[in-house]
Amino acid sequence: MGKKLRIHSTLACDVLIIGAGGAGLRCAALLHERRPDLSIIAVTKVAHPQKSHTSTAQGGMAAVDPKDKVDKPIYHMFDTWKGGDCSSDQNVIKKIIEGGWEEVQWLEQKGIHFSRDEEGNIAKRQFGGHTLEFGKGDALRAVFVADRTGKGMMDTVWGEALKGGSLFLNSTVITELLFNQGCCVGAVLFKIKQGEFITVLAKATVLATGGSGQVFRITTNCRNNTGDGLAVILRAGLPVMDPEAVQFHPTGIVGPGILASEALRSEGGILRNRELEPFMERYAPKMKDLAPRDIVARAIETEIREGRGIMNPDHQIEHVWIDLRHLPDYVHEVKLKEVASFFKTYVNLDSRTQLCPVRPSNHYHMGGIPTNEHGEVQDAANRVVPGLFAVGECACASLHGFNRLGTNSLLELLVMGRYVGERVLSYLREKQVSGPKGAGEASLALFANYLEAQGRENLGMIRQEMREVMTRRVGVFRIEKGIEEAIASLIAFKQRTARIAISTKDMRMNQELLERWELDNLLDNAMTIAQAALMRKESRGAHFREDYPERSDEFQFHTLVSMTEFGKVSFGKRPIDMSIYESKGEHHEQFRVMPRRY
Amino acid sequence: MSKTYSLTLTIKRYDPERSVSWFQTYRLEAGPILRFVDLFRKINVELDATLAWASSCEHAQCGSCSVNINGRPMLACELLVENAVALFGVTEFKITPVSVAPVVRDLVVDWEKAYERVHRSKPYLIKPKKLPPGMTGFRISPAELSRYEEATRCINCFCCAEACISGNRNFIGPNAAMASIVRMMDPREEGKDERLNLLYSEEGIYRCHTSKACSHVCPKKIDVAHFLALAKEGAF
Repeated sequence: MGKKLRIHSTLACDVLIIGAGGAGLRCAALLHERRPDLSIIAVTKVAHPQKSHTSTAQGGMAAVDPKDKVDKPIYHMFDTWKGGDCSSDQNVIKKIIEGGWEEVQWLEQKGIHFSRDEEGNIAKRQFGGHTLEFGKGDALRAVFVADRTGKGMMDTVWGEALKGGSLFLNSTVITELLFNQGCCVGAVLFKIKQGEFITVLAKATVLATGGSGQVFRITTNCRNNTGDGLAVILRAGLPVMDPEAVQFHPTGIVGPGILASEALRSEGGILRNRELEPFMERYAPKMKDLAPRDIVARAIETEIREGRGIMNPDHQIEHVWIDLRHLPDYVHEVKLKEVASFFKTYVNLDSRTQLCPVRPSNHYHMGGIPTNEHGEVQDAANRVVPGLFAVGECACASLHGFNRLGTNSLLELLVMGRYVGERVLSYLREKQVSGPKGAGEASLALFANYLEAQGRENLGMIRQEMREVMTRRVGVFRIEKGIEEAIASLIAFKQRTARIAISTKDMRMNQELLERWELDNLLDNAMTIAQAALMRKESRGAHFREDYPERSDEFQFHTLVSMTEFGKVSFGKRPIDMSIYESKGEHHEQFRVMPRRY
Repeated sequence: MSKTYSLTLTIKRYDPERSVSWFQTYRLEAGPILRFVDLFRKINVELDATLAWASSCEHAQCGSCSVNINGRPMLACELLVENAVALFGVTEFKITPVSVAPVVRDLVVDWEKAYERVHRSKPYLIKPKKLPPGMTGFRISPAELSRYEEATRCINCFCCAEACISGNRNFIGPNAAMASIVRMMDPREEGKDERLNLLYSEEGIYRCHTSKACSHVCPKKIDVAHFLALAKEGAF
């Protein structure tokens, strides 16, 4: 007790990359290739970069092969624009999609094990929302590594960063960004295993801290996705963009929330309620179980809300069933092998003879730290913050708008990772590092507070209640009264956190202390999501307001939210880039603001 | 109404501040499909907030949560209560950290130390082949890929290294060896001499006693011993 926290040491490097998943390490690999002399520090919260959330991505990565005779980048751009409910930035769409195949080639030459077709060429598969000729036919556009594309990518970028000589700081988190005269000059880090704070001064700092799915009770996201990077940004007085744009996958497996792929339904799986009624017939008479993600998710939530769900006694989670019993053995054993094995492993059910429990699961946050098309972070006035970059799920450029298409996230991680690397290189030439006064004092004070707090509140219980409230009130369905209740609950949770006592006082691998800090981050993320969801009185992409079920042109902008004091938010707007439409080039009319109908 | 199990978890603890380890017993009621990571979380919320344990993805894709359960290395995220009861025939479980890396606190080990071996094995193409001019990708037939594709599923959870009877001191270990073997079999690797030097070095594959414990415990059901056997034969 009473141990004084201090900064243990100060490191200096050329580039500090915080987050060593797909995006962060693609950036590192580019920097090593172009400038082998640079010193690069790659920081990850997990025990080793290979444990990153990127490794869990299953389906594929969208990229148009220039040798493809029928597919064209302009079709992919259209699909992304339409899928995002006309809320993506067109300059970003164009830049990322045009860079896609180059990444495929890079991966191929660095040893990724892409699945192959019979001739031995890279195989491609179809994915929802990816079409040819502006919606006329299905596009074969996603390259993949069996059902573990993210792992294939993660292994490749990690290998290249390791080969290039990145210095890895594993089990380490960022607690504070450092600025000097408006420029970002590094960060304060907390090394979890050692329980030590360090400062790292850098000529350029890249945030690639990943998602914040743990805000919700049911999520496909890993335990570490607690939105740390976004919380650090907010504390630095910078805004987050479109936090209300949260995607829910319709079929997460109860209880862990593990993703059960769309393939279940495309192969003929039928969703059923408590009475075993195939309820999708009522919601989408034509497409039934094959309706788009958001429609299916809302249908399942409605069934549960109206009392036609089933309660899982072990996890205390309500769900519906997916019925796969009528499908031939071949489908279970070959086509759905991996997903069928998930049901066996995580709920001990045989999908050939038993109904399997599923419900909507938080999957992806389209919003994040606002950046321009080069990955440079912007402030509330849309000005670039010199020296600070963001990429990956924590960032928002925005490629996905208000709804992400499957396979576009892996594309974004890699292509933007490379672009950010390139931008960092041109930035580095002029800049020198100098550290600010009082670096780290805010972090030390914050953690000292956690350690000294007294009271009988239970950290785990507050976290559980917060995740439950967010899932119920700010999840698939949102309505003014519900969101307001959620905000009131969040304020109450925040007050209760002051009375959490941490019994482990030693700093080394202090899980309680880490989770205490994470809880603050989760609450910050939850508050910005709820406040932005309340402000946006319309429905757009994955953001669905029951009281405002239509999209409204009045809200044709990106939300910017700043919050330096918990619960006190200020909003700003960023215009949605329409440069493809405005260019008046070929097919520009496909990039107008149009209804999202499939 | 679903049944519940009355479980006894005896967990090996370690406090780095006092450098002391001890066994602590927790008794809890749990439904049949809770996983061991859910039990650890339940302990944290209901019984003891100080217990430290590791996990990340919690669906067997990252390999962070490996522990020994009744002496068997397993991923805590994919072991359900009812399956554990069926597998071991008991409701008492002794849980210890893996020994392939030093313990930091309780069940959390320093994975970095274990990974040093994988890094020595160079988990990347040492000397990648150049793409043929005019080609946008290589041609690798599905048959050729299928010879080594299984090995690429490895998540480095180190369960195989934990179970390996050849020990962890002199042998680089099954998963680290496999990281090199897979690239010996990859037609895009041109740095094969360096790989052979490693695989046939003092810490290389001849340390393997072919007990096949690695294949037996692999949570991803990779036949690790098969790949080690190929390397011993030189049949890459």
